[in-house]
Amino acid sequence: MTSTPTISVSNTQGKPITPILDVDSLRKVYNQGAANENLAIDSVTFSVNKGEFLCIVGPSGCGKTTLLRTISGLAKPTVGTVQFEGTTLTRVPDGLGVVFQDYARSLYPWMTNLQNVSLPLKARGMKKAERLRRTHEVLDSVGLSKVANQYPWQLSGGMQQRVAIARALSYKPDLLLMDEPFASVDAQTRFDLEDLILKVRAEYGVTVVLVTHDIDEAVYLSDRIVVLSKGPSHVREVVPVELGEREQLATRSSDGFLTLRNHLLELVMPR
Amino acid sequence: MRDLASVETQRTGAPLSGVIASEIDIAEGAEYAGATSTGSQPGGSPKRRKRTARKALMTVVLAIGLPIILLVVWWILSANSHSPYFPPLSKILDQFWKLWIIGPAKAQLVPSLSHLAIGYVGGSLIGIISGVLLWRLPAVRRATSPVVYFLYVLPAPALLPALIAIFGIGEMRQIALIAFGAIWPTLLNTLDGMRGVDQVKFDSAKAMRLSPVRTVWSVVLPGASPQIAAGLRAGLQVSIILMVISEMVASTGGIGYFILQSQANLALVAMWTGILMLAIIGTVLNYLFVGVEHRVLAWFYGSRALEGR
Amino acid sequence: MIGPYNSEVDDVSFALKRVLPPVLVIVFILAIWQVLTVTKVFSETQFPTMTSTMAALGNALVSPILWQAVGATLEGWIVGLIIASVLALIVGSLLASSTLAFRASAATIEVFKSIPAVAILPIVILVLGSTMNMKIFLISFGVFWPLLIQVIYGVRSMDPTVRDTAKILGVRGVRRFLVVTMPSAAPYIATGLRIASIGALILAVVAELVGGAAGIGRNILIAENGGSAQYALMYAYIIVAGFLGIILTGLFTLIETRVMHWHESQRNARSNEESAK
Repeated sequence: MTSTPTISVSNTQGKPITPILDVDSLRKVYNQGAANENLAIDSVTFSVNKGEFLCIVGPSGCGKTTLLRTISGLAKPTVGTVQFEGTTLTRVPDGLGVVFQDYARSLYPWMTNLQNVSLPLKARGMKKAERLRRTHEVLDSVGLSKVANQYPWQLSGGMQQRVAIARALSYKPDLLLMDEPFASVDAQTRFDLEDLILKVRAEYGVTVVLVTHDIDEAVYLSDRIVVLSKGPSHVREVVPVELGEREQLATRSSDGFLTLRNHLLELVMPR
Repeated sequence: MRDLASVETQRTGAPLSGVIASEIDIAEGAEYAGATSTGSQPGGSPKRRKRTARKALMTVVLAIGLPIILLVVWWILSANSHSPYFPPLSKILDQFWKLWIIGPAKAQLVPSLSHLAIGYVGGSLIGIISGVLLWRLPAVRRATSPVVYFLYVLPAPALLPALIAIFGIGEMRQIALIAFGAIWPTLLNTLDGMRGVDQVKFDSAKAMRLSPVRTVWSVVLPGASPQIAAGLRAGLQVSIILMVISEMVASTGGIGYFILQSQANLALVAMWTGILMLAIIGTVLNYLFVGVEHRVLAWFYGSRALEGR
Repeated sequence: MIGPYNSEVDDVSFALKRVLPPVLVIVFILAIWQVLTVTKVFSETQFPTMTSTMAALGNALVSPILWQAVGATLEGWIVGLIIASVLALIVGSLLASSTLAFRASAATIEVFKSIPAVAILPIVILVLGSTMNMKIFLISFGVFWPLLIQVIYGVRSMDPTVRDTAKILGVRGVRRFLVVTMPSAAPYIATGLRIASIGALILAVVAELVGGAAGIGRNILIAENGGSAQYALMYAYIIVAGFLGIILTGLFTLIETRVMHWHESQRNARSNEESAK
């Protein structure tokens, strides 16, 4: 049994901060009691502060997607609790947005980009005029106002993922969960999308939790990184990232970046 | 395990014209996939539009070429025919004009088509609604699946005598038979299509907090719609057959009655006009269906054509 | 805690869960049928009682009349299906091998497919009479067109990489047809056959019911014409027709699953089933 490190609930300035998401001794077992029982997550504890950008990294097969499904309320933990804004999750809460890895599967191909983005607003009973205004606004902030009336499948992969991001942002969630959102796009598009997500995060003041297997991406994007062990997973270490203003070239070649990157590689790679 | 054998999968039934359309789309698909935020519209340049127009014209010429050749061959081969079974095409067309266009026979179309419309629409609605209900209630689905499957594979024409016994020889048994034929392919395909909707699409719906009703309406039904359409198409074909045979047995009206009556009276030219009329009805309904389907499912055919193949 | 894993108990409870509800539903329907007829909600001039129908079914099952009829239906079904499949395979492969031929014939095939096969029934009866040949012709004509479309679909959907690989490897002619084209098209053809087998059974019953050829369809109509005393027998025959459908469709579904084992869409279906658990 590995012990789980406790995480200090304080930011860099040392002020106490209320966590927006609190994951406590989360454990997830599939097919419990059956012959094909499978322990996906052993015990994971961490919390996310308001306004923070947190990345979760780990070796492949460490149950990252399971973890994201559980902390978003899509799946129930076997043991432990997930608290969102102080209440224990039983389903997906109102103030939560989710971006899935595979945009081709998460977007609805029978709806235009505009209809896709305004669907959650419709579900929240927003009036039509307000809905349209908000949809155009959010499409604009991901740079897609010109393709509002096209279908997602008419766009390139990177643009489709922007639609998915716009859809998750449209109802102004407090917390945005992203599951390997840039894993299915090419490298150049990936950089663009990373900067885009940093931009909209500032614009919307949203807290972001992003799951990725890419260490560089985690270091570039986040304020703090939760490193998972290989499955069944527990938290190996929580690494704070203090790199200031980000810029693809400068940040990625800075000493601070490289030091962190090496440290994380050591944590993730089996020796 | 699947409870019921999957039915008219998307591999089937789609009309060949759809294959042609999608092959053309593939050729032009590249510009969609490459579309960028500059918002280039497909078929933008006049040169490209001209090429597209020529291609479309070519398709039309090719498509109607063979039917015209076949008609000409039929005309020539039958011109001097003295066989009572195969009268000259010229005579058939002449009679067709006299009977169906200016003559009294077109009145036979009214009962046929109205029975078909009521029975088919009713049966399809029952099929889709029951499909949704069985999808929502897996326990009921499992419990009723042998019965549903039995009714699906039961050759519907076999029920005609039973329906005569129950309803007499009136309109009701014709409508009931047509509806019966439409229900099962629609139901099974609706169910199968809904069960095939991607898990991530449900996760997205939950993440956006769509209500169960909205999830069915905005996610499950559209997601299953290509397969529902396949079921509706199969149902239409069965319904037309059932319309005809319900008129051929113990009936006093309709196009099936007209054809069989002409045959019995050895009015073989008239019989041929009826066959021609039925062929026209079948073809028109089929193309009407495909036209509506391609309009409603434009997203499906569009996205499938771009799948990179 | 859960006790030691006991597979026997598990299997029994699983079987109960799976098998019991459908059995109960069938029993319930039969019981309702009996109650409605015995209490005269449906008069016996409309509907026989369930028990008398089952008795008629029992008698029919030991009588040669039923088996002759079933044999006649099956003969038309299988011969018609074979003729249509062979023709569809040959014509379809030829048409699909040339883009021009395929595009020129597509609309015509579509038109022939949308002609309800029953439309030609009267002329076929005139020429061939109420015979087995009439039934076979009707079935072959009816299922040829959809099968042809499936063959063309299957051949044309071949993965270009597979086709190019075959070219590079120098596989040509008949060998390419047998080793590359047919396996690629097999899933489409298998699906086409399954649906054609349902269509063929429907047309067999039509040829018997309307066209008067020997078979289960004619027996149903004769029983109906015999008045309400014969209704139990009529329903017994209808039930037999349903079971014919189950057996024939089941057979082709089995073949299809076999053929599709390696096919992508089936793999997807399986993995979807698993993730849904």
